[in-house]
Amino acid sequence: MRSEIEVFSPSTLEEALTLLQQHQKDIRIVAGGSDIIVQLRDGAIKTEKLLNILPVKNLRFIEEKNGRVRIGSLSTYGDIVRSQHTRKHAWILVEAAKQIGAAQLQNTATIGGNLGNASPAGDSLPPLYALGAMVVTRSTSGRREIPIERFFVGYRKTALNSDELIEEISFEGLTRNDAGAYLKLGLREANAISIVDVAVALRGKRRNSYSDVKVALGAVAPTIVRAHSCEQALVGRRLTEKILKEAAELASQDASPITDIRGSAEYRRKVVSSLVFQAVHKAVFANRGRER
Amino acid sequence: MLSWLKFGQRLRDRYLPIGFRIDSRSWECAWVRVEHNISFKLNGKATTVKCPPAYTLLEVLRDQLQVTGPKEDCAKGECGACTVIMNGLPVCSCLVLVSQAEDSEIITSEGLVRDGRLNAVQEAFIDHGAVQCGHCIPGMIVSASALLMRKRRPTRQEIQSALSGNLCRCTGYTKIIAAVEDAAKKMRP
Repeated sequence: MRSEIEVFSPSTLEEALTLLQQHQKDIRIVAGGSDIIVQLRDGAIKTEKLLNILPVKNLRFIEEKNGRVRIGSLSTYGDIVRSQHTRKHAWILVEAAKQIGAAQLQNTATIGGNLGNASPAGDSLPPLYALGAMVVTRSTSGRREIPIERFFVGYRKTALNSDELIEEISFEGLTRNDAGAYLKLGLREANAISIVDVAVALRGKRRNSYSDVKVALGAVAPTIVRAHSCEQALVGRRLTEKILKEAAELASQDASPITDIRGSAEYRRKVVSSLVFQAVHKAVFANRGRER
Repeated sequence: MLSWLKFGQRLRDRYLPIGFRIDSRSWECAWVRVEHNISFKLNGKATTVKCPPAYTLLEVLRDQLQVTGPKEDCAKGECGACTVIMNGLPVCSCLVLVSQAEDSEIITSEGLVRDGRLNAVQEAFIDHGAVQCGHCIPGMIVSASALLMRKRRPTRQEIQSALSGNLCRCTGYTKIIAAVEDAAKKMRP
């Protein structure tokens, strides 16, 4: 029963970690609450204790130093949209944040919550894969830095131990020479769960080619996946429309979609290629895909 | 030691000890608050409510505080009928635990009325006949008012975007958007 659930609201990270360590077997962490409250009401999650980390100080920040961007796990999508650091160095993440839910959700949902919930349709995740982000976790026994691709180990499964919480996420920001774009296909513009979403980041520009290309696909596999064969077809090549088209075709091989209420597997496989083409095209040719 | 345990038990409904640290000269006990009494500012008034801490802000507002402007429709954050302004930003009150509202400032559609006078958005909704069944309107008005608090001259696109999390199943969006544009004009000095 929800009326019997106990809620702990620590105000410091140390308190939160101590509580988590003591109650790790039967406690669930709540950040913004937008996923877990629905799951609690549906009965998809049963728990007797909740750890409300929202009052924890020093977990809500966005900083940039020497090109590296750090985002505290309690930062909301609204924070990400408004921050000059993310707008300048992570516009693909900003673009995703803008398209998540609508204003109300962007003001409560947190980036740490999106990571912890580990949905394959979590919209902040493909940009973080494309940016090569590191997830920083904390427990009473220490701190771990986990590359995002190893943080997600399966459908809705993370590498997070039961006594750990996500402290921050960090990545090397995009620079003026880099290209990046994020595109989402949903059934409507607001409050839509992605049918497919794609984030691309191209770095190391030399004339018309890039030495580091990352293409991440959302909602087409149990976790976010990188489109490795597509990336290889782009790395170091002089990017023309023809090459983009060929590379984008390969992206559907990297996807292993399922059929659900939002779209069929075949549709997803088809649409992922065209979305990758559009995203890379936007990133490379349309003013580096940067925001107005 | 015994007295400490008794003390802890007496306070059990609001505080729990989470750890002891004892050395030769001193001891310390770390406490953490377990919320049962929750205080926040509701429509300008300091409010304290005793309620199950895992209830949503919406449930407490409607069922315990009889503030029925915010409505529960989808209970999933998709429809916006429960929108309230929390610390200056519109949020879905169905997706906020009441414990998370501790010490915050909450404004509902009721709180937009000043000295018995409707605010500019509420007036404009009446003038434009922007209301059909009326169920989504408190949420619409709260979202629109939150926008106008931050932005004096929103573009049409900004209004549409600010209202994109509020669904109207009578499909009255045209008049609603016209009403918000009008309210923005009237609010300008």
